[in-house]
Amino acid sequence: MASKPVWEQIGAGFVQHYYQQFDSDRTKLADLYTDASCLTWEGVGFQGHKAIMEKITSLPFQSIQHSITAQDHQPTPDSCVMSMVMGQLKADTDQVMGFQQTFLLKNVDNKWICTNDMFRLALHNFGA
Amino acid sequence: MGEKPIWEQIGSSFVQHYYQLFDTDRTQLGAIYIDASCLTWEGQQFQGKVAIVEKLSTLPFLKIAHSITAQDHQPTPDSCIMSMVVGQLKADEDPIMGFHQSFILKNINDAWVCTNDMFRLALHNFG
Repeated sequence: MASKPVWEQIGAGFVQHYYQQFDSDRTKLADLYTDASCLTWEGVGFQGHKAIMEKITSLPFQSIQHSITAQDHQPTPDSCVMSMVMGQLKADTDQVMGFQQTFLLKNVDNKWICTNDMFRLALHNFGA
Repeated sequence: MGEKPIWEQIGSSFVQHYYQLFDTDRTQLGAIYIDASCLTWEGQQFQGKVAIVEKLSTLPFLKIAHSITAQDHQPTPDSCIMSMVVGQLKADEDPIMGFHQSFILKNINDAWVCTNDMFRLALHNFG
Protein backbone atom coordinates (compact mmCIF):
# COMPACT_ATOMS: atom_id res chain seq x y z
CA MET A 1 0.00 0.00 0.00
CA ALA A 2 1.39 3.44 -0.94
CA SER A 3 1.76 5.81 1.96
CA LYS A 4 -0.04 9.13 1.84
CA PRO A 5 1.65 12.03 0.02
CA VAL A 6 3.75 14.15 2.36
CA TRP A 7 1.44 17.17 2.15
CA GLU A 8 -1.43 14.99 3.30
CA GLN A 9 0.59 13.74 6.24
CA ILE A 10 1.58 17.27 7.20
CA GLY A 11 -1.93 18.63 6.73
CA ALA A 12 -3.63 15.80 8.59
CA GLY A 13 -1.04 16.00 11.36
CA PHE A 14 -1.61 19.72 11.75
CA VAL A 15 -5.41 19.41 11.71
CA GLN A 16 -5.38 16.74 14.38
CA HIS A 17 -3.01 18.78 16.56
CA TYR A 18 -4.92 22.02 16.03
CA TYR A 19 -8.32 20.72 17.13
CA GLN A 20 -6.87 18.69 19.95
CA GLN A 21 -5.22 21.86 21.30
CA PHE A 22 -8.29 23.96 20.60
CA ASP A 23 -10.47 21.57 22.54
CA SER A 24 -8.17 20.99 25.49
CA ASP A 25 -6.45 24.36 25.99
CA ARG A 26 -6.70 26.90 23.22
CA THR A 27 -4.06 29.17 24.72
CA LYS A 28 -1.58 26.56 23.48
CA LEU A 29 -2.47 27.41 19.87
CA ALA A 30 -0.03 30.31 20.24
CA ASP A 31 2.79 28.17 18.85
CA LEU A 32 1.01 27.77 15.55
CA TYR A 33 0.76 31.43 14.57
CA THR A 34 3.36 34.11 13.84
CA ASP A 35 3.24 37.86 13.40
CA ALA A 36 2.57 37.33 9.71
CA SER A 37 -0.47 35.14 10.33
CA CYS A 38 -4.03 36.17 9.38
CA LEU A 39 -7.22 34.83 10.90
CA THR A 40 -10.71 35.51 9.59
CA TRP A 41 -13.24 34.38 12.17
CA GLU A 42 -16.85 34.56 11.03
CA GLY A 43 -15.97 37.29 8.58
CA VAL A 44 -13.89 39.43 10.95
CA GLY A 45 -10.15 39.72 10.23
CA PHE A 46 -7.34 39.49 12.80
CA GLN A 47 -3.74 40.17 11.91
CA GLY A 48 -0.72 38.83 13.76
CA HIS A 49 -0.06 36.45 16.58
CA LYS A 50 -1.24 38.72 19.39
CA ALA A 51 -4.58 39.72 17.89
CA ILE A 52 -5.27 36.16 16.80
CA MET A 53 -4.58 34.65 20.19
CA GLU A 54 -6.62 37.36 21.88
CA LYS A 55 -9.59 36.49 19.67
CA ILE A 56 -9.27 32.75 20.15
CA THR A 57 -8.82 32.87 23.91
CA SER A 58 -11.70 35.28 24.39
CA LEU A 59 -14.27 33.21 22.48
CA PRO A 60 -17.33 33.00 24.71
CA PHE A 61 -17.40 29.36 25.69
CA GLN A 62 -15.67 27.27 28.29
CA SER A 63 -15.79 23.83 26.80
CA ILE A 64 -15.61 23.05 23.09
CA GLN A 65 -15.44 19.89 21.09
CA HIS A 66 -14.68 19.56 17.41
CA SER A 67 -15.34 16.53 15.31
CA ILE A 68 -13.87 16.34 11.79
CA THR A 69 -16.11 15.00 9.03
CA ALA A 70 -13.88 15.64 6.04
CA GLN A 71 -10.47 17.15 5.33
CA ASP A 72 -8.63 17.86 2.10
CA HIS A 73 -4.97 18.77 1.67
CA GLN A 74 -2.97 20.07 -1.26
CA PRO A 75 0.57 21.28 -1.89
CA THR A 76 0.81 24.86 -3.11
CA PRO A 77 3.31 26.16 -5.69
CA ASP A 78 5.20 28.00 -2.94
CA SER A 79 5.79 24.80 -0.96
CA CYS A 80 3.02 25.46 1.49
CA VAL A 81 0.18 23.11 2.41
CA MET A 82 -3.47 24.10 2.07
CA SER A 83 -6.04 22.28 4.16
CA MET A 84 -9.83 22.52 4.13
CA VAL A 85 -11.82 21.00 6.97
CA MET A 86 -15.54 20.34 7.40
CA GLY A 87 -16.88 19.20 10.72
CA GLN A 88 -19.15 19.75 13.67
CA LEU A 89 -18.59 21.42 16.98
CA LYS A 90 -20.32 21.71 20.30
CA ALA A 91 -19.62 24.62 22.63
CA ASP A 92 -20.73 24.33 26.28
CA THR A 93 -24.34 23.13 26.24
CA ASP A 94 -25.19 24.70 22.88
CA GLN A 95 -26.53 22.57 20.08
CA VAL A 96 -24.13 20.88 17.70
CA MET A 97 -23.22 23.09 14.73
CA GLY A 98 -21.46 22.51 11.47
CA PHE A 99 -18.32 24.46 10.59
CA GLN A 100 -15.85 25.02 7.78
CA GLN A 101 -12.21 26.01 8.20
CA THR A 102 -9.38 26.52 5.73
CA PHE A 103 -5.70 26.76 6.66
CA LEU A 104 -2.49 27.61 4.86
CA LEU A 105 0.61 26.08 6.45
CA LYS A 106 4.17 27.17 5.85
CA ASN A 107 7.40 25.60 6.96
CA VAL A 108 9.39 28.18 8.88
CA ASP A 109 12.63 27.08 10.59
CA ASN A 110 11.65 23.44 10.29
CA LYS A 111 8.29 23.95 11.89
CA TRP A 112 4.92 24.01 10.18
CA ILE A 113 3.07 27.13 11.20
CA CYS A 114 -0.29 28.52 10.18
CA THR A 115 -0.04 31.69 8.12
CA ASN A 116 -3.71 31.83 7.09
CA ASP A 117 -6.78 30.61 8.91
CA MET A 118 -10.44 31.13 7.97
CA PHE A 119 -13.34 29.85 10.07
CA ARG A 120 -17.08 29.97 9.49
CA LEU A 121 -20.01 28.19 11.01
CA ALA A 122 -21.90 26.17 8.42
CA LEU A 123 -24.86 28.10 7.11
CA HIS A 124 -26.58 25.67 4.79
CA ASN A 125 -28.14 22.29 5.00
CA PHE A 126 -27.22 19.49 2.70
CA GLY A 127 -30.30 18.95 0.63
CA ALA A 128 -32.63 21.13 2.69
CA MET B 1 -15.29 55.25 3.62
CA GLY B 2 -12.17 53.12 3.26
CA GLU B 3 -11.76 51.09 0.10
CA LYS B 4 -11.54 47.34 0.35
CA PRO B 5 -8.02 45.93 0.67
CA ILE B 6 -6.59 44.89 -2.67
CA TRP B 7 -6.63 41.18 -1.86
CA GLU B 8 -10.35 41.43 -1.18
CA GLN B 9 -10.95 43.16 -4.49
CA ILE B 10 -8.97 40.52 -6.37
CA GLY B 11 -10.49 37.64 -4.43
CA SER B 12 -14.09 38.72 -4.79
CA SER B 13 -13.59 39.57 -8.42
CA PHE B 14 -12.16 36.10 -9.05
CA VAL B 15 -15.01 34.45 -7.15
CA GLN B 16 -17.61 36.34 -9.15
CA HIS B 17 -15.91 35.47 -12.43
CA TYR B 18 -15.41 31.82 -11.48
CA TYR B 19 -19.04 31.10 -10.64
CA GLN B 20 -20.33 33.13 -13.56
CA LEU B 21 -18.19 31.06 -15.90
CA PHE B 22 -19.06 27.83 -14.11
CA ASP B 23 -22.76 28.51 -14.43
CA THR B 24 -22.75 29.61 -18.06
CA ASP B 25 -20.07 27.45 -19.67
CA ARG B 26 -17.72 25.56 -17.41
CA THR B 27 -15.60 24.29 -20.27
CA GLN B 28 -14.22 27.86 -20.34
CA LEU B 29 -12.73 27.50 -16.86
CA GLY B 30 -9.50 26.22 -18.42
CA ALA B 31 -8.20 29.77 -18.59
CA ILE B 32 -8.01 30.11 -14.85
CA TYR B 33 -5.97 26.99 -14.17
CA ILE B 34 -2.35 26.14 -15.04
CA ASP B 35 -0.40 22.91 -15.24
CA ALA B 36 0.61 23.25 -11.63
CA SER B 37 -2.97 23.61 -10.43
CA CYS B 38 -4.58 21.10 -8.05
CA LEU B 39 -8.29 20.47 -7.65
CA THR B 40 -9.85 18.35 -4.93
CA TRP B 41 -13.48 17.68 -5.82
CA GLU B 42 -15.48 15.90 -3.12
CA GLY B 43 -12.27 14.29 -1.87
CA GLN B 44 -10.90 13.28 -5.28
CA GLN B 45 -7.67 14.84 -6.52
CA PHE B 46 -7.01 16.18 -10.00
CA GLN B 47 -3.68 17.58 -11.08
CA GLY B 48 -3.10 20.05 -13.88
CA LYS B 49 -5.31 22.13 -16.17
CA VAL B 50 -6.30 19.28 -18.52
CA ALA B 51 -7.41 16.85 -15.82
CA ILE B 52 -9.21 19.61 -13.95
CA VAL B 53 -11.16 20.88 -16.93
CA GLU B 54 -12.03 17.31 -17.88
CA LYS B 55 -13.47 16.70 -14.41
CA LEU B 56 -15.44 19.94 -14.39
CA SER B 57 -16.74 19.49 -17.94
CA THR B 58 -17.92 15.95 -17.24
CA LEU B 59 -19.82 16.71 -14.04
CA PRO B 60 -23.20 15.05 -14.50
CA PHE B 61 -25.54 18.00 -14.83
CA LEU B 62 -26.63 20.25 -17.64
CA LYS B 63 -27.63 23.36 -15.73
CA ILE B 64 -26.06 24.71 -12.57
CA ALA B 65 -26.59 27.88 -10.59
CA HIS B 66 -24.37 28.96 -7.70
CA SER B 67 -25.33 31.54 -5.14
CA ILE B 68 -22.67 32.92 -2.77
CA THR B 69 -23.65 33.38 0.85
CA ALA B 70 -20.29 34.39 2.29
CA GLN B 71 -16.72 34.82 1.11
CA ASP B 72 -13.47 35.56 2.91
CA HIS B 73 -10.16 36.64 1.40
CA GLN B 74 -6.67 36.94 2.84
CA PRO B 75 -3.20 37.75 1.51
CA THR B 76 -0.65 34.96 1.97
CA PRO B 77 3.03 35.44 2.82
CA ASP B 78 4.03 34.44 -0.71
CA SER B 79 1.90 37.17 -2.28
CA CYS B 80 -0.94 34.85 -3.14
CA ILE B 81 -4.56 35.20 -2.13
CA MET B 82 -6.59 32.63 -0.26
CA SER B 83 -10.37 32.69 -0.62
CA MET B 84 -13.06 30.68 1.17
CA VAL B 85 -16.61 30.59 -0.15
CA VAL B 86 -19.84 29.31 1.41
CA GLY B 87 -22.89 29.10 -0.79
CA GLN B 88 -25.71 27.11 -2.31
CA LEU B 89 -26.08 25.49 -5.66
CA LYS B 90 -28.81 23.94 -7.74
CA ALA B 91 -28.00 21.42 -10.45
CA ASP B 92 -30.71 20.58 -12.99
CA GLU B 93 -33.89 19.73 -11.05
CA ASP B 94 -32.07 18.52 -7.93
CA PRO B 95 -32.79 20.08 -4.52
CA ILE B 96 -30.68 23.06 -3.51
CA MET B 97 -27.50 22.05 -1.70
CA GLY B 98 -24.97 23.93 0.34
CA PHE B 99 -21.32 23.88 -0.67
CA HIS B 100 -17.88 24.98 0.56
CA GLN B 101 -15.02 25.92 -1.72
CA SER B 102 -11.54 27.29 -1.08
CA PHE B 103 -9.08 28.73 -3.59
CA ILE B 104 -5.51 29.95 -3.76
CA LEU B 105 -4.82 32.53 -6.41
CA LYS B 106 -1.39 33.41 -7.74
CA ASN B 107 -0.32 36.22 -10.01
CA ILE B 108 1.52 34.85 -13.01
CA ASN B 109 2.43 37.20 -15.85
CA ASP B 110 -0.05 39.76 -14.66
CA ALA B 111 -2.97 37.34 -14.56
CA TRP B 112 -4.47 35.84 -11.43
CA VAL B 113 -4.68 32.07 -11.83
CA CYS B 114 -6.06 29.45 -9.53
CA THR B 115 -3.33 27.10 -8.27
CA ASN B 116 -5.41 25.35 -5.63
CA ASP B 117 -9.12 24.60 -5.57
CA MET B 118 -11.05 22.47 -3.06
CA PHE B 119 -14.78 21.81 -3.32
CA ARG B 120 -17.15 19.92 -1.03
CA LEU B 121 -20.91 19.77 -0.69
CA ALA B 122 -22.05 20.90 2.76
CA LEU B 123 -22.91 17.95 4.95
CA HIS B 124 -24.06 19.56 8.16
CA ASN B 125 -26.86 21.80 9.24
CA PHE B 126 -26.35 25.08 10.94
CA GLY B 127 -28.28 24.57 14.11
